[in-house]
Amino acid sequence: MKKKYWIILLIVILGAYFGYSYIYQDHRDIETEKPEFVVTSDAINKEFQDNSTTAETKYLNKTMEVSGAITEITKTDITLNNTIFCNLSEGYETTNLRINDNLTIKGRCIGYDDLLELVKLDQCSIKN
Amino acid sequence: MKKTFALLAMVLIGTTAIAQNKYFTKTGLTTFEASVPSFEEVKAKNESTTAILNTANGEFAALVLVKGFRFKNALMEEHFNENYADSDDFPKATFKGTISDFDSSKLGETATKHSFTGKLTFHGETKTLTNQELSIAMVDGVINISGTFTVEVSDFAIEIPKVVSNKLSKSVNVSFDFKLNKK
Repeated sequence: MKKKYWIILLIVILGAYFGYSYIYQDHRDIETEKPEFVVTSDAINKEFQDNSTTAETKYLNKTMEVSGAITEITKTDITLNNTIFCNLSEGYETTNLRINDNLTIKGRCIGYDDLLELVKLDQCSIKN
Repeated sequence: MKKTFALLAMVLIGTTAIAQNKYFTKTGLTTFEASVPSFEEVKAKNESTTAILNTANGEFAALVLVKGFRFKNALMEEHFNENYADSDDFPKATFKGTISDFDSSKLGETATKHSFTGKLTFHGETKTLTNQELSIAMVDGVINISGTFTVEVSDFAIEIPKVVSNKLSKSVNVSFDFKLNKK
């Protein structure tokens, strides 16, 4: 009889544990994810300009590596070839970077900004 | 031929005149909150909002990529994208409108209150915001625009499931803070 209670208690504890880990699961870690696409900034921007709906279906929420030359730097963001806007993850510094440096950035595509004609990436990390 | 040239020249001069009056940002902050007291906060922020202001006439446009809204809770973020905002189908939220009584020459370091009117589109639905308040200041050539407004979840064809209806406010507070630089 006692054994039964132990089993019920164990199930409750396990249930609580898995329930808690499900509700408070970690965010995706884009930096360690394998990129689904490796592209140049010009190529991906052209895809969005040609047909933003198709490109959105293909790239939205996907991890990708984009390479290009830096055209703008702020404390938290880098713009490549005036076409790819990359919002860096916390912990990345832009102090050592210079305009025109060639760079590969890994991040998550969050969509196309048609006001400024920019592809936007967030949670970015600098590959080289 | 001469006419075409004159027309072209006019168009070119016209566009440069417009470009000079534009202030913009790519890194505007937009947050929303639909929390209910004593339940887990339902709050997200987007730090890469695009906003453009035409200082000649007060016309204002903003664009938020919905997937860029970050929640503290990863599961909440997933549910927001999949079940409420349907961000695969509606990746953008936009605002287009005008700030009334806008006069760039009167802007100073002390923030002044203005009202704005325009159309907010989210989840494929458009809602008109009328005479909402925002404040504007100009510090070192940068125009700071900030404000808050409230929208109803039902205005955007979003249904809240019964199970969570007491944990989620039906009114959503949206706040924005944009630092616009000259283009």
